[in-house]
Amino acid sequence: MVMNAIETLGLTKYYDSLCAVDDLTLSVDNEIFALLGPNGSGKTTTVLMLTTLLRPTRGSAMVCGYDVSREGDSVRKKLSYVPQDMAIDIRLTGRENVMFFAKIYGIPDRNDRVDEALAIMELGDRADELVKNYSGGMRRRLELAQALVHEPAVLFLDEPTIGLDVAARKKIWEHIQKLRKGGMTIFVTTHYMDEADQFCDRVGIISRGRIMALGTPAELKARLMKDVVTARISGTFVPPPLEGIRFIGRTGDEISFTAENGREALPLIAQEITKAGTSLHALSLHEPTLDDVFLTAVGAHEEPHNFDDHRFRTMLRRRK
Amino acid sequence: MRSVWYFMERDMLKWTRSRIAVVTLLIMPAAWLIFVGLALPVTFTGNYLDFITPGILVMTMLASSLQGGALLMFDKILGFLNKFLALPSPRESILFGKILFMTIRGVLQATVIFCVATLLGASILSPAQYFLIYVILILFGVLLSGLAATVALYLEDHDTYTAVNTLISMPLFFTSSALMPYNVMPPWLAAIAHVNPLSFAIDAIRSVEAGIIPFFQIGLLVVLGIIVLTLCVRVFRNVTV
Repeated sequence: MVMNAIETLGLTKYYDSLCAVDDLTLSVDNEIFALLGPNGSGKTTTVLMLTTLLRPTRGSAMVCGYDVSREGDSVRKKLSYVPQDMAIDIRLTGRENVMFFAKIYGIPDRNDRVDEALAIMELGDRADELVKNYSGGMRRRLELAQALVHEPAVLFLDEPTIGLDVAARKKIWEHIQKLRKGGMTIFVTTHYMDEADQFCDRVGIISRGRIMALGTPAELKARLMKDVVTARISGTFVPPPLEGIRFIGRTGDEISFTAENGREALPLIAQEITKAGTSLHALSLHEPTLDDVFLTAVGAHEEPHNFDDHRFRTMLRRRK
Repeated sequence: MRSVWYFMERDMLKWTRSRIAVVTLLIMPAAWLIFVGLALPVTFTGNYLDFITPGILVMTMLASSLQGGALLMFDKILGFLNKFLALPSPRESILFGKILFMTIRGVLQATVIFCVATLLGASILSPAQYFLIYVILILFGVLLSGLAATVALYLEDHDTYTAVNTLISMPLFFTSSALMPYNVMPPWLAAIAHVNPLSFAIDAIRSVEAGIIPFFQIGLLVVLGIIVLTLCVRVFRNVTV
């Protein structure tokens, strides 16, 4: 039987009475899967369970066909895990950091593999410098090189781009995409919606330990939201019926429409307004982002209690 | 158990990269020898240097081990431990690698002490005696490193660790037979000193220097070491399910 790289069934974790992950059922295979959610929503707990660092309270999870609770050793041979806090030895060189992992993994031709992993992450020319002198982006790439050295089937990345500048983030994602093309399954957690939207094949939005929405970014956006066109006009205007475009209403000078395809609707709406002899001052198009999907999925399930709530609000504020 | 060696190698490499840490760790015991061994006006023995050297040796092992616990604490706080736990090597090898490093570092320091003490005028022993003293120091090092690792795993943060470290090391040293023989101690101190594990190691080394093989103390250190290691592995497994 061919198994997916990651399969969970009713995976649940309680910290005392606090439910961190609630009945999570998921399968992921050769794709970049992003678990999206606010802080404290259970993302890291999920990753810790899948990487055998935390024992599930209930339910089961399989990585490459091995059970994380019963076959931890086999699971750990198949995966690599890069935690959120950057943990690399800054007083060692890049090469020494990767070599250490290669030795622990017991890789036979380790010199070649270390060179290769460093080259993939474009660190070859600075490999013998102390990590102290590396930038944040380079340090993260070095961690990826450590993770790649034993050619894992599944790669777990917990907030891989946190704290990096835009260019460094883009580079990390390009590398991650390259690995996916090479056949690796990549499971990331993030709270950067735009990155998940742009770079991930499938996303799961998690809130309070439950999956609220699951699908490709495009699917999720299409399912939950339509494009919104807003026009600023002066004078009266009676909107004619147009195919695929629905008039929502007028507030002051602004009239709004929803459309299946906003970009195509723009010229049509402009045309109708000019035809009616009304003067048109501005047109704007709002296409839904994963942010909107996220707010719709998570916002509806807000409950006014416990500490998650506060964190969650802070997080929403930051996203704006 | 190759991975134990590799985990030790990482710590060793990190340690040797920091020259200041290496130099201070080697100078410190020498300073003790000079300022305590040569300066104290003692009347109960002819060669106080010979008397104090075993005490300084054991104290150095103690300090090195307890400081090594802080390394484990930092690995835990900074996220290294989690990363290492996701590696396929047996998880306990992380722990044993740490204990091995602490013990090796302590033994290196002990060697410096032997050299300095000899230069200052301590008696030269036979190779067999040196060998036995090293065996005792290694046993003691494993015992104390195991203890330090257990405490580090058990506690939450580095501040608490430092506090507990001081709480353990100071009284343990001053209530041992390191500085004076039992017969010149006040009775209450002698009573404590007799059950202090530091005294076991110190007395054992003094016996070796006097030409006696201290089977009793060595046996005691082995038993204590096994107990502490067992406890340590249990705590480790609990913490890292």
